[in-house]
Amino acid sequence: MPKTVISRRDFLKLGGAAASVFAVGQFIPPPVAASAHQAGSLDDNGSGYICTICEMCVWRCGVRAKVVEERVVKLEGNPEHPHSHGRLCARGQSGLMNTYDPDRVLTPLIRVGKRGEGKFRQASWSEALDMVAENMLKIKSTYGPETMVFSSTHNLSQPLFENLLYGFGSPNYGTQRSLCFNAMIVANLITYGMEEPARDYSQLQYLILTGRNLTEAISTSETTDLVDSIARGAKVVYIDPRFTKTASKASEWLPIRPGTDLAFHLAMINVIISEKLYNQIFVEKYTLGFDQLTSIVSTFTPEWAANLTGLDADVIQRIAREFAAAAPYALAHNGWRTSNFINSFPTERAIAILNALVGNWGVTMFPSAGEGGGGLGSPPQPPYPRISAQRLDGVPWKYPFVPLKIGVFQQLRDSIVDEQPYPAHGWFISRQNPVLSLPDRKKTLEAFKKMDFIVTMDILMNDTGWFSDIVLPEASYLERYDPLVSMGDQIFIRQPVIEPQGEAKSALWVYKELGTRLGLADFFQYKDEEDYINQQLAPTGLSLDELRLHGSVKVPSTEETNIYQWSTPSGKIELFSDALQKENFDPIPVWQGPPQPKAGEFYLLTGKVGQHTQFGTQNNQLLHKYEDEPRLWMAADAAQNLGLKDGDMVEVTSPVGSVKVALEVTSAIRSDCVYLTPGFGHLSMALRTAYGVGASDSELHVTYTDPISGGQALSQTFVSVKKA
Amino acid sequence: MPAKNHYAFVIDVTRCIDCRACLVACSVENNVPMDHTRIWVHDQGVQGIWPGLSRVFVPYNCMHCDYPPCTEVCVSGATYKDTASGLVLVDQEACIGCGYCVEACPYGVRYIDQKRGVVDKCNACVQRLQVGLQPACVATCVGKSRLFGDLNDPTSEVSIALRNAKSVTRLDYEKGEVDTDPNIYYLNLPETDSIQSSDPFGQVVQTSLPRDPHYTVSEQGWKKVAIPLMALACGGAFLVQAIFFTKQLLEGEKEFED
Repeated sequence: MPKTVISRRDFLKLGGAAASVFAVGQFIPPPVAASAHQAGSLDDNGSGYICTICEMCVWRCGVRAKVVEERVVKLEGNPEHPHSHGRLCARGQSGLMNTYDPDRVLTPLIRVGKRGEGKFRQASWSEALDMVAENMLKIKSTYGPETMVFSSTHNLSQPLFENLLYGFGSPNYGTQRSLCFNAMIVANLITYGMEEPARDYSQLQYLILTGRNLTEAISTSETTDLVDSIARGAKVVYIDPRFTKTASKASEWLPIRPGTDLAFHLAMINVIISEKLYNQIFVEKYTLGFDQLTSIVSTFTPEWAANLTGLDADVIQRIAREFAAAAPYALAHNGWRTSNFINSFPTERAIAILNALVGNWGVTMFPSAGEGGGGLGSPPQPPYPRISAQRLDGVPWKYPFVPLKIGVFQQLRDSIVDEQPYPAHGWFISRQNPVLSLPDRKKTLEAFKKMDFIVTMDILMNDTGWFSDIVLPEASYLERYDPLVSMGDQIFIRQPVIEPQGEAKSALWVYKELGTRLGLADFFQYKDEEDYINQQLAPTGLSLDELRLHGSVKVPSTEETNIYQWSTPSGKIELFSDALQKENFDPIPVWQGPPQPKAGEFYLLTGKVGQHTQFGTQNNQLLHKYEDEPRLWMAADAAQNLGLKDGDMVEVTSPVGSVKVALEVTSAIRSDCVYLTPGFGHLSMALRTAYGVGASDSELHVTYTDPISGGQALSQTFVSVKKA
Repeated sequence: MPAKNHYAFVIDVTRCIDCRACLVACSVENNVPMDHTRIWVHDQGVQGIWPGLSRVFVPYNCMHCDYPPCTEVCVSGATYKDTASGLVLVDQEACIGCGYCVEACPYGVRYIDQKRGVVDKCNACVQRLQVGLQPACVATCVGKSRLFGDLNDPTSEVSIALRNAKSVTRLDYEKGEVDTDPNIYYLNLPETDSIQSSDPFGQVVQTSLPRDPHYTVSEQGWKKVAIPLMALACGGAFLVQAIFFTKQLLEGEKEFED
């Protein structure tokens, strides 16, 4: 371990001192064990099971945590939770190792060396928060509140994070979503008026997965549903340039040329319309723009698509016929990380339209139950101050279709570097690792250099913290309360199962403490975490103890809604979009060919493995124990042409960067592609398990943004490979 | 005397997605040291000619054999076949850590925990069975590939799964005096020649683990049986495919009961 890093032993030595200094809080949550005992979860010896919600990815499985004498010793899936059905994936099972990671940050840290040197000193919460507030207020008074950037993604304390940034007066809100599923979300909003319709596998007979690698990019309950469907005899067509584990389970694998999924789906639509295989009653009654669609897709024949996709025309035609014949028990899955090429938006539109044509609505697709609702209350708060500054990420002035809460993260970073339309001076980052997640890592570090002040909150010294001025130690998901979340007619709780390690604190606590120092106390009107949750529960009449004991409670379901109404401008499923036309975009998806690699170059593909989530789990020792070494996949013939063999160290070079990594020669990938497991190649030397493992895909990725959805085209980077 | 219960694993290989939730769950539940594992998912690698590729994952652990070679060689009597459950267990209080059983096991599923000086392996999470829970690997299996239960109980999930199975395979090891009769029943395992690899642990066990992924065959004395599971499957010394269909299985069960 490098000398510059504070060791765990140092942390422990300081623990007592820090504890005595620690008096800043106006509240100290009651001991976890006492509350759990009161709720009936723990016995008199402090042992038993406490229900909570997983946070090893964003799927939020229900968890039953086995606690023995105030230590969590095992995690189980909660059988009553719709996302886990009693099962957890490898990441969920390993969750307690995140909490007990010897590399946890256990006190606030203040940088003492240069940025990126990793030299920090420990500080009390009051010193650290005073310093954060002082810097933020200085930036606000000198340059304006909009020059302070805030970023955080997809977590239950997001409403309080939004209070912090909007209360402060900044419009600059970064999320990770443009690096993931913007294309799918915006396409569904345009077509169905909802971000992501729910999928139902119970009657499914035919499934098309377009790069949705469900057995490696795991969403526990949905992955189980897929395996059940296959065992039941459902046909699964899997489209991917890689022979993934999902491909090995599929009935049919189509190794499509990258960037041509759109051509495949347009040809599917062409066959289904020209052979009149669509559901005429459904299309007439519930969709808008069928005639325009018919005329537009008439040229997108299977023969036309065959040339582009590298698939046989008769295979495309057969799949179209099979899909329509299986309808309404058929589903074209809209994918998850869908922002792959700058044509990913029309691709997602085509998938959405394909489903509408065969009328699977109400059978395999439903309105999403959605989060929120459930009759939950919230503490009172004043309206946000008026914010007139433009957002740095171009929403909505450059990207009119991207929702504000989703944004275009890579554009935000680029605007910081370019200082356009104005320079930014500070960055507050919560539970996020933009140094590794954003494409073009060098550029992200350039953006950091523009900052007077950077603060990162996380449970570990992640790569972003490593380059920050202050690091705030957050309590892990097993150590804290988060705001309640409702899904459908159920309310779920994330609650602590053990006391926080060291001085770690919940986001609810940190945002309130910081908000108070920033003069925003009115946006945080709760005494402590339990008080916040009690205020949420007040209108429902439910008791916190009941919720604590079971992890969830059912609330009386709201009245039946008509599922055949969509929140689009026309109230119908929009095959043709007037809104797109008004902004001079194609109102119906048409073919757009993305760029292709030059001779000697490869498509750089990335995609998840079942043992890791994005950039945050590589330091987990239990996952490290069972992960595959992250190597660069290359097809045997391509490797032979380059004189490379399995295990060779190779240098991979893109227009923006270069990495060295071991080669894996495999028959599981097209010859024109290479694949790299994302999320490795960490820069933070404080991540002692992950440091030095694998290579970073963000070092290589070039920034390309889809002009409609704002999605980063993650497969549009081309690389050359040579022996290192 | 037949055991009161006849616990067995039934594993449907078509449902295993190699997500490794079972591996992590086992490690946590049983405090398995970071450099060891009690269970594995054997990955035969990508097979076939493009684009007609296939890949099969075969989860395994201690087979809890009816005739376990490990108990034969145990000098302290610590390793035994439990008459109540039918499980092969290690009494770690009595174990002296000599490692004979580790070498004797034809499936390579035992290891010596150097810190404690004892042998460890899958015990089907007896501590969980005692309180009515499934083994950790089974409880969390995302693909519902792993099942566990009592074959003496015709209403158990495992008995029903075997009755309804299209094909059932055991990786039986027969050589000389040894005939293990293992208690992992594989559903839908492909034909023998598609399950071949000289590197049964390579994909799952990391190089940081002490078990050498490139297993070598020892020819000394009783160690002759110390040959890895899959390596011998293609070498032919195994009587590998005791494939028997539902009907035959039921007949077998009947005989067993008689």
